[in-house]
Amino acid sequence: MLWARLRSSRFPLVALASLLVLLIAGVAIAALSERSLKVQTAREAGAQADLLASAVSGALAFDDREAAQDYVDAVQINPSVLAAAVYDEEHRLVARFTRDGETVPNTVTPRERMTVFENGRLYVVRPVDQAGQRLGAVHLRLMETPAAQRFSRYAGLLLVLGLAALVVVVLAVAQGALRRANRQLAERAADLVRTNSLLQQQMIEREKAEEALRQSQKMEAIGRLTGGIAHDFNNLLMVASSGIELLDRTDDPKRRRTLSAGIKQAVERGAALTRQLLAFARRSPLRAEVLDLRSHIEGLRFLLERSLREDVEVVLELPDDLWRIEADRGELELALLNLAVNARDAMPHGGRLSVSACNLPGEDGEPDRVCLRIADTGVGMPESVATRVFEPFFTTKEVGRGTGLGLSQVYGFVRSSGGDVSVDSREGEGTTFTLCLPRTEKPPTGTEAVTSVAAPGPRKRKFSGRLLLVEDDDAVAAGVGHMLGDLGYSHVRVANAAEALATLDKDPRFDLVFSDMVMPGEMDGLALAQEVRRRMPGTPVLLTTGFSEAASAATGEAFRLLPKPYGIASLSDALAATLQEPAA
Amino acid sequence: MTLGRGSILVLVALLWSVPPHALASPPQRQSLEYSVKANYLVRFAAFVEWPQRSFATNQSPVVICVVGRDPFRGGLERAARAQTAYGRPLAVRHPGTAEAAAGCHILYVGQGGGRLVPDGARPILLVTDAAVSAERGVIHFVISDERVRFHIDLQTASRSGLSINSRLLNLALSVRGG
Repeated sequence: MLWARLRSSRFPLVALASLLVLLIAGVAIAALSERSLKVQTAREAGAQADLLASAVSGALAFDDREAAQDYVDAVQINPSVLAAAVYDEEHRLVARFTRDGETVPNTVTPRERMTVFENGRLYVVRPVDQAGQRLGAVHLRLMETPAAQRFSRYAGLLLVLGLAALVVVVLAVAQGALRRANRQLAERAADLVRTNSLLQQQMIEREKAEEALRQSQKMEAIGRLTGGIAHDFNNLLMVASSGIELLDRTDDPKRRRTLSAGIKQAVERGAALTRQLLAFARRSPLRAEVLDLRSHIEGLRFLLERSLREDVEVVLELPDDLWRIEADRGELELALLNLAVNARDAMPHGGRLSVSACNLPGEDGEPDRVCLRIADTGVGMPESVATRVFEPFFTTKEVGRGTGLGLSQVYGFVRSSGGDVSVDSREGEGTTFTLCLPRTEKPPTGTEAVTSVAAPGPRKRKFSGRLLLVEDDDAVAAGVGHMLGDLGYSHVRVANAAEALATLDKDPRFDLVFSDMVMPGEMDGLALAQEVRRRMPGTPVLLTTGFSEAASAATGEAFRLLPKPYGIASLSDALAATLQEPAA
Repeated sequence: MTLGRGSILVLVALLWSVPPHALASPPQRQSLEYSVKANYLVRFAAFVEWPQRSFATNQSPVVICVVGRDPFRGGLERAARAQTAYGRPLAVRHPGTAEAAAGCHILYVGQGGGRLVPDGARPILLVTDAAVSAERGVIHFVISDERVRFHIDLQTASRSGLSINSRLLNLALSVRGG
């Protein structure tokens, strides 16, 4: 029980053991010392008794009591002696000396030499002999070393023991305090671990919540996007459907031309819209061309002015010595149009849109760049908006007015062209977008066609050739079939890859295989193309798709690709280019 | 220890404890006196050392002689019986001639014993008694304060080749030539 209490009191066992050892050592030393002291006392008393015995021998032999008394009295100089007595041969008292309270018997029983400790007294008996004659005996009674003297003897030892015990206790207390501190530390560490795990749990929960929030934001964005796209598409569809109806009702060639041009324009806008979506997703392969910004933007002036209102002045500052850049022409146009439209919306009461460009020589090993600045004098925007303008689906316009994809397209275009875009805006002071694109040393390519949409009739040529058209959608197949026939090609249409291979087995005399990429069946367009290339290396393949992922797969396999939707002009160009290509 | 000697000591003790005037008749007192003297003669053997040449062997006895009239009436023999001195036994003799007395170690001169004392410096402890004559030997018994005491002639003792224990000297009434 004591043990348990000691353990629970956390008194260090080592300290306890030390104290115990100290105690035992102290007791042992004291006992040894006491014993040696006794021995010494006994020896001293014996010597004194011997001395007395030898001195009183004559007095005893010749019955001289006075002399005997003198010798006995001499003994009292020693303060330890309580009583001394001399007995003769017949054991009768001859002389004695006693201190207060001590008595001496008149006769004693005969004894030999004796030294005995008893009740704190030391009794010493020595016979008196002279030359062999027994003359009597001497009795001495001494007290043991007085307590005070003994205490003083042990005082030093006690002091040392006390100090040692004190040190041990102090150490024990210190150790106890240390242990307590350690325990507290451990508890705190455990608390910390608990708090940490709690924190991590909260982080996980927070991540989940953020994920959920992102999801809901995405849903909201998709909703907004769908709204915007549906609005735009509805408009386009409205134009197209009304145009087609009117086309059926009139035979006036001029009016029909106007109507078909309107329909075509609506379709082109729809195509531009889907391209914008794909560019945002950055899944549309960029068709990089070497461009001269100066002539290109000059060519766009008309378009820009048409997109803006009359109260917006367009100022172009383009130096003659601008470096060339390499970028997708359509994307660049789209980016400029998006920026222009935003600028227009930012200037509801009119203003000035300035498009300027300058060469920016690279520093510290960075490449040279050409920077395009599009600045308006509009309302500007707060910083909280400015930091978010490049986020997809972020818009300040009301639902249906904008998709929130304009600036996101700008960002995606510039980044995928290896450049940077930044915005500098202050509320009430207008906004400046800066697009920096890397310089290229390549020579300019091809003819500078300002617009890709307007490929007018005069370029219309007649082709000849036999095509295998693989298309699962009947309507699309019919439309494409009309276009092919119009261009002068003859074709055989099959609905999937398996049919195509069967047809090719039976009748391999085709000049080209024109296939959709995404089709039902075990084999898709890409696999078909690979199979055709394997079986008939001399037959070129042209792939088409509306899916951007499939498109990148096709370009990865080095097949020519015509993205959907396409017009008769681009179809004609693509077919001509594919037929001209040397067989892979 | 013998009964006889014990009784003598009892008497001696009685002598000490009883006042002198209350002592019994002179003959009884005289008898006590001589038994004390006989006892002393025996004790002297333990307090005196003789030269080695005075003994024939290591076991030779210390010879106590009485010349002249013997006043001890057998008390000396009783006192000496079973006693030793320096490991030697004690013997009591009564030599009839001075030649015979020459072998003694302690020689008590009784009434009319003066002519039997051997001549010259011999290692003999000559004990005389004031009750017998005024002539003094090495030790001379006297009665002082009703007690048997003695004088010591250390000079003569030294001349005789005897050495006397200082504790004996301390008890002498006087020491001559000390």
